Amino acid sequence: MLGNKCEKCQAEFFPPVNICRACKSIDLKPLEMPGAGKILSYTLQKESVAGFEEQEPMVFGLVELSNGVRLVAQIVDFPYESLKIGSKVKAVFRRVKADGPSGQIYYGYKFGPPRSPRETSATEE
Amino acid sequence: MTAALSVFISRIGYTKVGDHWDKSLSEIAFQASKVLLKEEASPPDAIIIANALSELSSSQGNLAAIVADALDLKGVPAYRVEAAGGSGGSAINLGVNLIKGGQMESVLVMGVEKMRDLDPAKVMQAQGLSENADYSQFFGISIAAMNALLARMYMHEYDVTREKLSAFPVVAHKNSSTAEHAQFRKKFTNEEVSRSEAVADPLRVLDCAPVGDGAACALLVSEDKLSSEQRKSAVEVLATESSSNLVNFFERPKMLHFGATEVAAQKALKKAHLSMEEIDFLELHDSYSELTAISLESMGLSKQGEACNDAAAGRFDLNGQFPISTFGGMKGRGYPVGAAGVYQICEAFMQLTERSGFNQVPNARFGLVQSMSGIDSSAYVHVLGFAGRTGRN
Repeated sequence: MLGNKCEKCQAEFFPPVNICRACKSIDLKPLEMPGAGKILSYTLQKESVAGFEEQEPMVFGLVELSNGVRLVAQIVDFPYESLKIGSKVKAVFRRVKADGPSGQIYYGYKFGPPRSPRETSATEE
Repeated sequence: MTAALSVFISRIGYTKVGDHWDKSLSEIAFQASKVLLKEEASPPDAIIIANALSELSSSQGNLAAIVADALDLKGVPAYRVEAAGGSGGSAINLGVNLIKGGQMESVLVMGVEKMRDLDPAKVMQAQGLSENADYSQFFGISIAAMNALLARMYMHEYDVTREKLSAFPVVAHKNSSTAEHAQFRKKFTNEEVSRSEAVADPLRVLDCAPVGDGAACALLVSEDKLSSEQRKSAVEVLATESSSNLVNFFERPKMLHFGATEVAAQKALKKAHLSMEEIDFLELHDSYSELTAISLESMGLSKQGEACNDAAAGRFDLNGQFPISTFGGMKGRGYPVGAAGVYQICEAFMQLTERSGFNQVPNARFGLVQSMSGIDSSAYVHVLGFAGRTGRN
């Protein structure tokens, strides 16, 4: 999750911006976003957009990262019934959708519980 | 300083919203405008096509020339405007400004859209085109789900229950039940809305505007072009204003406020020398229930978090203080995306010229039309008045 940061006023952005929204500076440097955040809103999307049929139904969340930046992302490994406004989440790297026509694989970020199931079981062992 | 040129809507035309399986984009545009064009002595100085999705829905680009050709307007300058759900509002705004700028004396604005030929997954993709391709569409979120995120936040922030949100589809469908051109001429109870199938929790299918085909047009003319007799039956565009906003609602400092709508409405009312209290009815961009609530609150018609209560109390009914979506709006009349903003203009024209039958708002002198692209990423607000009743001519 590569965003950027204004060198002049330190404001942070994701997606990256060309011009700082706070002070209009164009002096911005790339900045990796923190992976930790919390849920501000969430939904269970029943119908799929073309290319996402195999994941139906999908859960999406409006996530506020620990630096205050807000974004929308798919929520995975989180039982929908236990999602709440304020739930803590963490970015994970995942395959996003069905392979493209030339076999390309689309990867990107999604958000899951603060500790992934694998980590949890590893700790228990 | 000379007084600014006045622009009038002299005539309108439209098709029923719904299924037009057997007709192409050009054919429904022809159906909407054939009477108007036949009865006009000369062709317009320009035609602006409002359409959002023809490339995806009909594999048709170059829509300006395609539609102009189909309407036998060879030689007339033709343009196409695409601004997602706000295409129609944008085209009206541009058409009026072309005339005010003195370049044209008459402009035909034609909104046209075909959605019903697409399979559901394609419809979802088409509706989502208004959102950022790399950071929203890429991850598979639908426009309904995007609205659901906003709706849940709205409900959480102001403690609005699911039942309260249902007040808006109830009002819309009450109005569309008596509108001849509406896609859904059916009333729903609050309970039916609240218990309808979930599309993207907390939004239900009856919160979301249906997909429809349709074409609507309005002939914009300068005051010099109208005889005093014609002027008596024409509607004046008292103001048309537009504003843009951050595309992602979640990047805005105030997420539950529509800044573009607020700015466009304030500017338009100021130019029209009117206060909101003097507006007799509003046509709103009500494609999702929470959009109606937040739009009303952003324009100052309800206090923050109170729009649903006001709707339940009858404030926005046809006989209420501020009637909204008088023929059902996007929700009940139907939502032919790029054409929707022109349907709103036709409906305001019918209100102001007292041709609204069961849906007539009594003594409607001034109407406000709000149209938007995406979730308030752009807003277009027009204030219209009837020359015969505004007391200004």
